[in-house]
Amino acid sequence: MTDKIITANWGNDEIFSLDGYRADGGYEALRTALDMTSADLIDVVKASGLRGRGGAGFPTGVKWSFVPQDTGKPTYAVANFDESEPGTFSNRELIEREPHQFLEGLAIATYAIGSHDAYVYCRGEFLWPDLVLQRAIAEAYDAGIFGESVLGTGYEINVIQHRGAGAYICGEETALLSSLEGYRGQPRLRPPFPAVEGLFGCPTLINNVETLCNVPHIIRNGGGWFAKIGPEKSPGTKIFSVSGKVERPGNYELPMGTALRTLLEEHAGGVRDGKRLKAWTPGGSSTPMLTEEHLDVDLDFESIAAAGSLLGTGAIIVMDESDCIVEATRRLIAFYAHESCGKCTPCREGTWWGARVLERIEAGYGRPEDLPLLEDLGQNMLFRAFCALADGAVSPIQSSLKHFRDEYEAHIAERRCPFTGRGPGVVNETVKAPAGDRGLSEVLG
Amino acid sequence: MAVLGAEDRARAAEIMARYPKGRERAAIIPLLYLVQSVEGHVTRDGLRDVAELLGTTTAEVEAVASFYTMFRLRPTGTHLVNVCTNLSCALVGARDVFEAAHDATGAPHGGDVSDDGMFTVHEEECLGACDAAPVVQVDFVNHDKVSPERMREIVDRLRNGEVPEPARGIAPTDFKHASRILAGIDGGYGGPTSEAQGETKREVAQPSGGPPAGEE
Amino acid sequence: MSSPAPELVTLTVDGKEVTVPKGTLVIRAAEQLGIEIPRFCDHPFLDPIGACRQCYVEIEGQRKLFTSCTTDVAPGMVVKTQNASAVAKDAQVANLEFLLLNHPLDCPICDRGGECPLQDQALAFGPGESRYTEPKRVYAKPLPLSPLVALDRERCVLCARCTRFCDEISGDRFIELFERSAGERVSIAAGEDFRSPFSGNTVQICPVGALTSTPYRFAARPFDLSSADSVCGHCSSGCNVKVDMRRGEIVRVLARDNVEVNDAWICDKGRYAFRHSDLDTRVTTPLIRDHGLEPASFDEVFGEIARWSKGARVAFITGGRLADEDAYALSKLARTVFASNDMDHRRSFNGGRAEEVAAGVPLWTTYEDVERAPAILVAGVDTEQEVPILHLRIRKAVRRGARVFVIHPRMTRLADVAEHELARPEHQTYVLEQIHEAAEGEESFAGRVASALRAAGGDAVVIAGERLTEHPLAADVALSVANRFGSRFAFVTRRANDRGALRAGVHPSLLPGGRRLSVDDERAVVEAVWGQLPSASAGRSTRQILEASANREIDVLFLIGVDPLRDLPNDALTTRALRNARYKVVQGLELGDLEPYADAFLPATAWPEREGRTTDWEGRPQSFSPVRAPAGVSRPDWQIFVGLAEAMGGSLGFETIDALREEAAALLAPREVPVRSTAWTGTGRPQLAGELTAFTYPLLVDEGRMVEGADELKAALEEEVFVEMHPEDAEKHALHDGDRVRVRTETSEAELPLRVTGDVAKGAVFVPFNQPGFAANRLLGAGFIEPATVEPVRAAEGANVVPTPVEA
Repeated sequence: MTDKIITANWGNDEIFSLDGYRADGGYEALRTALDMTSADLIDVVKASGLRGRGGAGFPTGVKWSFVPQDTGKPTYAVANFDESEPGTFSNRELIEREPHQFLEGLAIATYAIGSHDAYVYCRGEFLWPDLVLQRAIAEAYDAGIFGESVLGTGYEINVIQHRGAGAYICGEETALLSSLEGYRGQPRLRPPFPAVEGLFGCPTLINNVETLCNVPHIIRNGGGWFAKIGPEKSPGTKIFSVSGKVERPGNYELPMGTALRTLLEEHAGGVRDGKRLKAWTPGGSSTPMLTEEHLDVDLDFESIAAAGSLLGTGAIIVMDESDCIVEATRRLIAFYAHESCGKCTPCREGTWWGARVLERIEAGYGRPEDLPLLEDLGQNMLFRAFCALADGAVSPIQSSLKHFRDEYEAHIAERRCPFTGRGPGVVNETVKAPAGDRGLSEVLG
Repeated sequence: MAVLGAEDRARAAEIMARYPKGRERAAIIPLLYLVQSVEGHVTRDGLRDVAELLGTTTAEVEAVASFYTMFRLRPTGTHLVNVCTNLSCALVGARDVFEAAHDATGAPHGGDVSDDGMFTVHEEECLGACDAAPVVQVDFVNHDKVSPERMREIVDRLRNGEVPEPARGIAPTDFKHASRILAGIDGGYGGPTSEAQGETKREVAQPSGGPPAGEE
Repeated sequence: MSSPAPELVTLTVDGKEVTVPKGTLVIRAAEQLGIEIPRFCDHPFLDPIGACRQCYVEIEGQRKLFTSCTTDVAPGMVVKTQNASAVAKDAQVANLEFLLLNHPLDCPICDRGGECPLQDQALAFGPGESRYTEPKRVYAKPLPLSPLVALDRERCVLCARCTRFCDEISGDRFIELFERSAGERVSIAAGEDFRSPFSGNTVQICPVGALTSTPYRFAARPFDLSSADSVCGHCSSGCNVKVDMRRGEIVRVLARDNVEVNDAWICDKGRYAFRHSDLDTRVTTPLIRDHGLEPASFDEVFGEIARWSKGARVAFITGGRLADEDAYALSKLARTVFASNDMDHRRSFNGGRAEEVAAGVPLWTTYEDVERAPAILVAGVDTEQEVPILHLRIRKAVRRGARVFVIHPRMTRLADVAEHELARPEHQTYVLEQIHEAAEGEESFAGRVASALRAAGGDAVVIAGERLTEHPLAADVALSVANRFGSRFAFVTRRANDRGALRAGVHPSLLPGGRRLSVDDERAVVEAVWGQLPSASAGRSTRQILEASANREIDVLFLIGVDPLRDLPNDALTTRALRNARYKVVQGLELGDLEPYADAFLPATAWPEREGRTTDWEGRPQSFSPVRAPAGVSRPDWQIFVGLAEAMGGSLGFETIDALREEAAALLAPREVPVRSTAWTGTGRPQLAGELTAFTYPLLVDEGRMVEGADELKAALEEEVFVEMHPEDAEKHALHDGDRVRVRTETSEAELPLRVTGDVAKGAVFVPFNQPGFAANRLLGAGFIEPATVEPVRAAEGANVVPTPVEA
């Protein structure tokens, strides 16, 4: 299909290497960019309407323009390759298959903000993708694409690869900076914003991998070209990572605004084993679950928001009629409880509490008052924590209660999980919670 | 007792030189990987080495090391088996794979080492390869669509001294080797540039799980 | 200080208008209206963090709630706190529920009970019952962080005040947050101690009972305590403290906030060394020697002293902790009643011009000046060990961007923020001189200091420690450096009221206000108030008094608030002086080692039992007030001096403290001390007296009298005796770290364990002044520095630390 942009070359066996990438016109956009002024470059990206693909959807050109270039301090470009949102796996494949596309985008962004130092914050668990990137960076250095004189222009750009070490929170940009500077990956107060006071106290641009992969194409084809793809407010394509109960899980690059039904049925092969769709996340585990009712919602920032969720990272986790929503929610809250950085009270304590209550319900020890409690818990965490991690944890709680309250009620009434049958069931003895919960003992290490 | 010998100290100096002068603390993560690669986990002495290199207190280093899950502050097996049990993997049977991993390795729940010292099993969060669920990492390289049977087979092969072929790319020989690669001082495939390209090309070109997005 | 007036912002909080400087946090603006927003992590002297989320407020026009501790005020902002906004209040209640999930309800056995912010808020508006039914997080308790500080982790609300204190304020990053999520906890590296001399501050700012002080653990309840505001008497920092007493016994000392002096901090010595006035060695009745020392009345003792003193040669040595009133009364007593200028409070220092300036000009340089200085030169003082709160203020200046330079023979704990020039003690003058002479842009330590001071103009600060004056010109050279670049200058003495004694003229050649005895005009000002003075020629300094005494040239020797055997260099000389003076009067809290020598004892009242003033290193006088009645029949020192004057048939002219203060005020008013060129004309590269120079100074926690009884403090911070030398010197002498070595001076020698460290200047050998097992005044005869040799002790010669006097 012709409407692919950043995955168009995934069928090309040679595209991962520098030679292969160059044979396809690679690094020509960088050459073009180096002939332009910073301001012109930023204008092109602004005109494209490209929005950040990391989850928040902030306009990329605007973000670039926020980085002051006249402070007398160095300026840094940081690429966020700490892909950790459950259900999301597009950045990994972008790097594994075509690392130079990303590096070219990074180089252009680095130049556009007048920076000479680009850091790539890589997810530590991505041992192999990180090696692919390591090799690609070395290749690019050898070819004079990075180093003292980028493509012979005399402009210096150095790329420093920095691996993380296992912390979801480091995808949050201020936590990423803390981690990169050698501290615990806890988010920082804003203001000052990273654009003004970011890495090492200097003006810093932070962009997601998928965002940067779009940049060479925009430079090559113009902002107007990109702006015309997909819906007006969310132009371009998006890689949707589809996983869970589907026939063909994988990454699918489609125009923004493609309906879920199209993605699911035409591309991902439909729900596995012909079962019925029960629930799905539009943008990873941090986005409220939607249901079968929302099959025809368009996958773009605005339409998903109108349906009561968020586009997030475009990671679609599909659950079918045989899956227990309480257990799914329990597992996701256990994730947030494990990944909460610990800094602020509502997140640290709220995720801990939520995980315990959900474990209890799933194990057949739920109480009717647990449901209003969970609702309260969500309300007391939402927009109250230091960063958005807690808001992400609230999404599955609130959305599952909203759409699948009957399943919770069944767990409580039957004192067991209706799907697995596990739990004490209805017996006449006093119901007592088991001591020592599996997931939570792990939380405390 | 210092964990890092003279050669590793030279490596440490190279690692620190990646970062701007006066900002060497940024090297804390790779330095922790480096000490982890020597003793197979980050020991108290290793923490002290890093503190000494960076001019911080040991507490500052331990604070960082204990924040991240990839640093093992407790004794760890020769091989670290990470089983993702997050939602996408759980939906397709990860819990059974997780139990099979314990069963096959003999490693107890809770992250301790198997009696033979060979294995530690860790319950992992999403590994970003949900198209290949359930995902297992052995020494941080991926094995795709792992069934309980496949899990047992992987463990058997490790026990026989083999390195099971991962889904993509190379496999470190053990957890220490993986830590060395993570420190960024080992290309993992004999060098960062040209000579290894052929090999890498073949491996990376394999599809990552489901059908490549370009082919449907 | 000519900082521009800050831009002002007006906003309303709960309907009340308030105007504050731009950049003020909402929580602070509310405080100005008397509106207290609950908080745990917020602390006015720490950077905002926004971790506990307790201080939510509603801001009109905003969808989300805001934490008032991280939000700057804005013009026209309309803030509603929990008092005016149901939403804010609900959020606070919900947050409290989160905080209490894992908090044990062990208030009845918690030290914080009764003064705990979490308890107060839970009582005020927390839910009566918890909806949390699962088991709480538990930890082994308590975790001893040091012999002083214990941590009950399950009580911790993870506000990070303690760790931020260690990071931002003290720089002693021994405790940190470990792990993450619900497993996050404050901890310390395994096998290490919270070895910070500021550790107690973390206990005081802990908003729950997670951190507790072992000396106070389970000792009292807040409602059992009676308290008084006081000023710490341990060093010249002048920290404002609150002294808590339970049933007549001091059980706790806390810092009081004072932005002009100690912010909210005190050091651990100030906090934990509070038992010395309660020790059973305290003597609270006058004593007179008959066969032994027998109790007597003040009048009997005064009469006996007067009998010995009439027409006799009388000399006075004091410590550094007499109150301002005492120092003034003594200065006048000695000169007008005993006709003696032989009077000194100093140990072996002679600050020359620097001392005159310090005596005459209070508050030339203040804490605030240090905080705002863009460049600071510190010479001859180990601020952390000697004036700890000045140390913290220098660190604060660094956080505001100051460049700091230190000249000292030994690395100080400013090492991480300052450039040090390790100079042998007798070389420090030379380094100062190089700064004075440095050419523009010279690439050297001196050049960098010079250009930093020059660039900072009148805002730079030059700090000269008293130990510089071991070299007769050093403090003067430091003053010249300050004058050269137009910097502010501070001559910093160590003991609590050295400055007050200097101001009052407890000094052989300076009268009150730094007026010189030898200069007619200056002397005349004092004579106008006091009447005629005995002589215009200088009296004897401490050392000269001891020498004269040893030579039987002193008849009556007063030792007031001083134990010369402990406090002064050269114990051999002191011993001879004590033997050979005919009549020794000891005045203070105890007899101590002076018991065999004392002919009369006058019991003084301890600071917690009286009112008075003390003057800190800035020259700032501050008042302390009594927390209990005087012990026994003890009297404040100044009253004893009044009594002595009467017994001598004279009068000091005042009988009340107010009358005393009124008279003193006239002489102690700040005065112009004209900038004169010093005697110094360039010292040149110094000639070395010997190959090695031994030097000493007291570490913060040592065997000094004031620390007696503070066992936990000593366990936490006191080091065993050691001697330090540079690796190159060690190599030259074939010595190794850990060796026992023999240090030899002209007067004595001692065997000590050696530390080889690059943190001491080449050619310098450091011996701490008074650590367990050895006091340096048994080794050093001349003062605080002296040429020495160091040689190995052969293994067979045993391991005792035995000083062997060369001459008796």
